[in-house]
Amino acid sequence: MKFSVSKEKFLAGLQTVQNVVSTRTTLPILSNVLLRAEDGKVRLTTTDLDVGVSGGIDAQIEKPGATTLPARRLANIVRELPAAEVEIEIDSKNVASIRCGQSFFKILGLPEEEFPPLPKFEDAKTFTLNQQALRDALKKTSYAISTDETRYVLNGILFSFKENKLTMVATDGRRLALVDLEVEFPRSQEVEIIVPTKCVTELGRLLGDEGDVKMSVGENQVAFEIGGTLLVSKLIEGNYPNYRQVIPGEAKERITLEREMFLNAVHRVSLLSSEKSNSVKLVFSKNNIEIAANTPDVGEARESLAVAYKGRDFSIAFNPEFLQAPLRALPNDEVFLDLIDEMSPGVIKIQSPFLYVLMPMRIS
Amino acid sequence: MDKPLKNADLKPIWAAITKALKADVSGDTYNRWFKDIALVELDATQLTLRVPNNIYQLWIETNYISLLRAAVLLVLQDMREIRFVLADAAEHVPDEPAAPLPPKSLEVVPETAEPPANGMNPRNTFDAFVVGTNNQFAQAACKAVADSPAKTYNPLFIYGGVGLGKTHLLHAIGYAIAAKKKSKVVYITSETFTNEFIDAIQNNSLVKFRKRYRQADVLLIDDIQFLADKGRTQEEFFHTFNTLFDGHKQIVLSSDRPPAEIANLETRLVSRFEWGLTAELQAPDIETRTAILRKKAQGMGIKVSPETIVFLAERIRSNVRRLEGALMRVGSYVSLNEGRAPTPERIEHLLRDILHEEARRAITIDQIQRRVAEHFDVRLADMTSKRRPANIAFPRQIAMYLARELTKTSLSEIGDAFGGRDHGTVLHAHRLVKDRMQKDDKTRSVVSFLDNQLTR
Repeated sequence: MKFSVSKEKFLAGLQTVQNVVSTRTTLPILSNVLLRAEDGKVRLTTTDLDVGVSGGIDAQIEKPGATTLPARRLANIVRELPAAEVEIEIDSKNVASIRCGQSFFKILGLPEEEFPPLPKFEDAKTFTLNQQALRDALKKTSYAISTDETRYVLNGILFSFKENKLTMVATDGRRLALVDLEVEFPRSQEVEIIVPTKCVTELGRLLGDEGDVKMSVGENQVAFEIGGTLLVSKLIEGNYPNYRQVIPGEAKERITLEREMFLNAVHRVSLLSSEKSNSVKLVFSKNNIEIAANTPDVGEARESLAVAYKGRDFSIAFNPEFLQAPLRALPNDEVFLDLIDEMSPGVIKIQSPFLYVLMPMRIS
Repeated sequence: MDKPLKNADLKPIWAAITKALKADVSGDTYNRWFKDIALVELDATQLTLRVPNNIYQLWIETNYISLLRAAVLLVLQDMREIRFVLADAAEHVPDEPAAPLPPKSLEVVPETAEPPANGMNPRNTFDAFVVGTNNQFAQAACKAVADSPAKTYNPLFIYGGVGLGKTHLLHAIGYAIAAKKKSKVVYITSETFTNEFIDAIQNNSLVKFRKRYRQADVLLIDDIQFLADKGRTQEEFFHTFNTLFDGHKQIVLSSDRPPAEIANLETRLVSRFEWGLTAELQAPDIETRTAILRKKAQGMGIKVSPETIVFLAERIRSNVRRLEGALMRVGSYVSLNEGRAPTPERIEHLLRDILHEEARRAITIDQIQRRVAEHFDVRLADMTSKRRPANIAFPRQIAMYLARELTKTSLSEIGDAFGGRDHGTVLHAHRLVKDRMQKDDKTRSVVSFLDNQLTR
């Protein structure tokens, strides 16, 4: 196999796929990237057996063929090369010679037959989604994914395709984020899947501002086609909890907040929330919220915000990190905070179909 | 286990618990999460609630469990472990004998019964397993595997020292899966595997041998470390492993050390063992030891005083099997002496060999200092010196912490051993390290690593 390609293109291609390669893998072949040169393109593929990515770059192919090379090492070399044409030649023993300007590298690879093939999709249900909308929806939900491995069904985002709507949900039991997207598909395509965290992270990286993404849902696996790049992943098996049960009924109070101002105030005050109790208190009175935190033996912090509020005086406490997470992820200038009473969950909403349910902490 | 109460008796109890709960939660919360729950089982240790589906369990466990516990305590005047069953799964639970359980050995076996053919002890169930911080993770992983074999952690590798419950968990998985579905569960020790393999070679019956293991739905292999040095067996096992793994069958392995530390085990096997989840069982802490003794005493029908239990839990720290042996001895002494409680001196005499064995493992401050200094790469002299830069002071504090935890020396003696510091310094170090362990994972893992090394 022999091909040449510009350094920039090669590096960009490698960076698209190299995140999947895990640093501590037990099978050496999984730290390698598969390179397949044919028809004017070099296809780069990596996998960790759970998630796989494959992308193509345009190149001048002198001799088609395939091999695998250590992904991180290759990317590190290519990053440092001068901005010029890179020429790669592989011999029959999978030894790669890399030439670029006056530089020369030789690295040892492994035969391509050892590389596990990405799964095939047959009888898959396919959906076409807008890239930006999906990226936006991932950003609005992914921070709420549970990292508790004993609750593995929660270690991912639920994609529920129902009644021409895609509902995406993430929860860890203390908060829940949900986004609805309008998508058109026939009734027969209705399906619910749980996409694992690693795939969600990769997907967020690959999605751009324009164009569509084709999503294929197969038996126990999912694929996303973004431009010429393909991301495939296993799905989490199991039943996602019935999240609708969590969404509270009608709110008693709705407070409109300037997102950034509120976020900054909570952030400042949370500097004095203790690690043990870890809560900030929101005290509502006429046209005012006071955000307060204190740690015994350390000190306390308070900040007031003027808001339009005409309800009764009351206070509610939240985990500051959980309160800030959606505020950071949302692009809107204004958000709504819906509350019932100090013991019921709070809900953050925006103009578009999104909601975030957050359990209050007990005020002792 | 006490006979579970009937449904009719449980209704008023649950009504009382919910009444206590209502005072603490909002009306909406109550209607949303607690109204549709039923109390289905209550015995001396556990309280089982039937919930409509898994969101109830998730939300209650993460948000309302302490309130629920408080309400239970208020009504029953005693703690119970709270369990949940899902409505669809629960239908089988109350009438256990009628459920489609394959081996009859699941019921309590009479004393004279032979061990069941599959080699698993039916007493080793999840219910009988006492969970503490030392084994929580491993237990949770095993439970997840038992709930959905081959879907969560495959292979699951559990390791830990002698008598910490590896075999117990393996058996529990086996029984839990066998009770639920018609799966072919195969449990063997790696030694049996080796012997059968050798027999098969001798008798030319390799095909039969392979069939037996490669057609299992769940393969549980105990004491895998005995495969070390057995090249051919390892190779055979490697293929068995691959066949099962590729066929999406669950594999659970146990060993006394992590896969990478098993000497003379082929690297391709090591890498496969590390593929799924590796969970460690550690020696139980004092609370867990006390809980174990209570549960065992109850299970064996032994009457021992709380003081005796505390005495045993304090003195025997290394393994659960030894703990049980000591309890059994004390129990038989009590029954032979018409229920008179033995004095501490009497117990000491009764258990002198066990206690002697435990004491041999006693650790000196000197050993602790050496080990800690070595680990942090500071000089041994720094342990006693007056210098206080952070890179020396913190290891020194850890050493003091370990000295306090692992030896019976007094605070001022520890202070003396660390270059004539006073007892307040030691106390401060102890608090500081304990505090840091709570907040910082790295400190916790370093300290528990050193602890393990010293108590090994």
